[in-house]
Amino acid sequence: MIKKLQSKQGTAHQLKSSPEYRQASFTWVISLTLSVILLLNSFDFAGGALKPWVFTAFAAYALFTIVQMIITLLIRRDLLRTGDIRRSTRLLGYIQLLSIITGNLFTVTFGFNLVKQQKPPEYTIAVYMLLTQLYVIAISALNLFKPYVSNTFLPAMFILVVVAILQLIGLLLVAKFVTSHYAHPKLVWLALPIIVTAATGNIFALVLGINLLVKIRKNGNPAMTRWSDVWIKLTANSTAMAGLFFVIFLFCLSVCSVFTFDYSIAIDNNYSAILLPPSLEYPFGTDNFGRDLFSRIVFGARISLIVGFASTLIPVIIGGILGAISGYYGRQTDNIIMRLLDVLYAIPGILLAIAIIAAFGANTVNLILALSVGAIPTYARTMRANVMLVSTYEYVDAARAFGSSNFSIIFKHIVPNSLAPMIVKSTLTIGAAVISTSSLSYLGLGVEPHIPEWGNILKIGSTYLETNSYLAIYPGLAIIALVLSFNFLGDGLRDALDPKLD
Amino acid sequence: MGGTEAARRGGLIGSISTTYHKILLNPSYKYLLLLLGAPVNLVVFLFYLVQRRKDDYTAAENRIRSAMLSSGYLEALQAEIAQQQKRKHEFFNQKISEQQLQQEVERIAQARFKEELRDRTTKELLLNNKKRLTMADTFDRLIANPLFFIISLIPGLLMYILIFLYRSPYLKYIVERLAMTILVIFGVAVLVFTILYLSPFNPAANILGETATPEQIAAFNKMHGLDQGYLTQLWNNIKGIAYFDLGKSFSGNEDITNSIARKFPITLTLTVISLIIAIAIALPIGIISATRPNSFFDYAFMFVALIGLSIPNFWQGLILILNFSIKLQWLPATFNPENWLSIVMPVIVLGTGLTASVARMTRSSTLEVIHEDYMITARAKGLGKQTILMKHAVRNAIIPIITVIGLQFGGMMGGSAVTEKVFNISGIGSYIVDKQFIPDIPAIMGGVVYTAITISLVNVIIDILYAFFDPRIRSKMKQY
Repeated sequence: MIKKLQSKQGTAHQLKSSPEYRQASFTWVISLTLSVILLLNSFDFAGGALKPWVFTAFAAYALFTIVQMIITLLIRRDLLRTGDIRRSTRLLGYIQLLSIITGNLFTVTFGFNLVKQQKPPEYTIAVYMLLTQLYVIAISALNLFKPYVSNTFLPAMFILVVVAILQLIGLLLVAKFVTSHYAHPKLVWLALPIIVTAATGNIFALVLGINLLVKIRKNGNPAMTRWSDVWIKLTANSTAMAGLFFVIFLFCLSVCSVFTFDYSIAIDNNYSAILLPPSLEYPFGTDNFGRDLFSRIVFGARISLIVGFASTLIPVIIGGILGAISGYYGRQTDNIIMRLLDVLYAIPGILLAIAIIAAFGANTVNLILALSVGAIPTYARTMRANVMLVSTYEYVDAARAFGSSNFSIIFKHIVPNSLAPMIVKSTLTIGAAVISTSSLSYLGLGVEPHIPEWGNILKIGSTYLETNSYLAIYPGLAIIALVLSFNFLGDGLRDALDPKLD
Repeated sequence: MGGTEAARRGGLIGSISTTYHKILLNPSYKYLLLLLGAPVNLVVFLFYLVQRRKDDYTAAENRIRSAMLSSGYLEALQAEIAQQQKRKHEFFNQKISEQQLQQEVERIAQARFKEELRDRTTKELLLNNKKRLTMADTFDRLIANPLFFIISLIPGLLMYILIFLYRSPYLKYIVERLAMTILVIFGVAVLVFTILYLSPFNPAANILGETATPEQIAAFNKMHGLDQGYLTQLWNNIKGIAYFDLGKSFSGNEDITNSIARKFPITLTLTVISLIIAIAIALPIGIISATRPNSFFDYAFMFVALIGLSIPNFWQGLILILNFSIKLQWLPATFNPENWLSIVMPVIVLGTGLTASVARMTRSSTLEVIHEDYMITARAKGLGKQTILMKHAVRNAIIPIITVIGLQFGGMMGGSAVTEKVFNISGIGSYIVDKQFIPDIPAIMGGVVYTAITISLVNVIIDILYAFFDPRIRSKMKQY
């Protein structure tokens, strides 16, 4: 009996401790869910007809889901028999690499993870870097079906493809020459061009370059820096990486869309193409002025990202400084600052934003300011709590004994050591800022109505809910995807940065 | 001395004088007490000045001073200091006149003498187990006389109320918390009014249209008091909020407080129903997830919760309308007070975010508690799984969950603006949104400030409830 119980526990432990098995189970569940969603959407319930394109996509997804399930079972068998994944099972990962045509991020990344046994964080980052670039190229290529493309489309696409090839070479080199504690010194000549490719907006390239340079610099030195430690934990977390991927993908797309997308298709009225349903030419259909919804959503990502980041960064800085001063000096300073912030805290963020916008008018700058003001107290409280904790540490006393000024103690010693919770909190609240932005735009209080912003697009879509519901569905999905990504990333960062888990 | 006696005597007067002692030791309450009971305290102070002349301390001090003087202590001190000063000036190459030196020596010697005198007197008093008379002692002696108490009752009523409140830690906490809330609400009113006052828009021009003559605009401004200065307008608005009379709105000529009072119940009902349903769903889900962390259930629930956090309210509303009103035609798309089915969708939309965050909070805070030592103790005692979970884990995990609920309540009151717009509910949120285009300053201000007041009051109630639920907070409260 006890033996059986022990073996059962041992099995569970063996399976749980294998990152591949965990990711495999996670991937097939997600992949199956996506397939089911596609299947449900491939039937037109009202008309009783089958949508061929969606059904094809479903078939492709289902195929790779089945492969995924088989691989999961094989991994389970391998682990239970030998405690290790066999080479032949790992080779099956190459099949999953093919799923890149379907655009299923989860199976592709699983494939990349499975084919390599030792995975330094650089490898995972390189995979995501390449995937980001390929997705951006694929999305931009959809413009080929349009009646006309922007003048810079062809050269921009050419550059993107060259960058993708460079990054593919980078991925292969990283896979070959980088291990968890060693990177070949000559990879410096790879890291530099990779950093240059980050100009396309691909932040993964920047991170990979920096990571490589750091690793080369401390080759043979077993000491672990915070930066590399965080990346090791983050790359092991597939949901967090998926979130980070989507955010960076949208950013990269926003940067590239300047050259590959035609802004006039998104804003100019085209009365010959009013309220068209989704097609290859207009992937998400057109709105009541004949504007391409797909281009509008792509251009809307820019606004959402800018407003989200700006309205998080401003309160982080102001709230951070107030919280640091309040936590460091304590007593009366603390009392005065925190009581004043309590006033701000008592008003719900959205109502305060409405009041500010009512007073100063609805435009993007006022929106950013309005959202920022309401978020200051939260960050001030977080920072204050951290600073109060850090101020009691010995190195602060040491700095004081040295004769450092209060100013330099706060900003050189205390603030850098209390940033981690601020980073986590801000990642988690960017999502909320994105939602608030689109909510206020939906109410007519946010971004100017002529700018393609997700909330504005939805506002138009909501009036055509009965007849052309896709106008409201797609921008909403974009908002959810972005917010969900930030939330996943925030959860992952919390796990990676939380010292309690160490 | 008097204080301890009084305490031993017990009773009302005894407890008054002990509390008086305590308050005088508290730096922030001291001034409040002196101010509130100014007439009584003045009398006490006069008595104190008189009595002080003949108390133990003064007697001992006089005795010791004459002893010190007669023993030639002061002269010896002066000679010593004079020598020290001379050496010091020589060392620093400073030249000063004899007279100046004399003055310096005199000053330092007096200070040192006083210090020494005080030290010796305190030591002596300590040896004889006597104390210096304080103002509180004088108060003790006076209050011990019932006549003084009765006479001082009217002028010192405020002070006695303060003493009464201070006596009980709970009462003191509640009153402190309420006072803080009133300050915050006052701050909210000032802030919102200032924001609206700074607005570059001209409500008169917006409402009267472009064709309005300057006379018409001036008349409008005069009617609504917009021609007055900042402080006057602010004062009028704050008074209006306190007396529930904000005057007429700029457009439509309706009574603002009346409209707000008509719209508030709908918003509040909606919020409270969503709150209750959300908690009823979220708590069990969070607990189940926490009891089997990293299981399929856990992942699925938390994934759904994260999606719930990520859905914009208005989009969720639109999708629900699309599916249940347009396609399936089960539920009405707009809210109608007579049809209870019409509240289902708004409640779901408003409750989703709260359900998600409460479920996540429940999970993490229960998980934290589950690894505490007392859980192992409980298991070692042989308690059943259910008992351990309910009595030991959840009860200790509930505090942070309540905090989140309190915080989210505010978010929901604000978020209801969007939901109300989607479902066409004429609640306070959509009222504010409608009024902001003008901008109708008193209407927006009333809407925002009354919402903030509701939220603050809910948070006060939660804070006070804590104090009674959590023994840790209770004991902390008693200490200070």
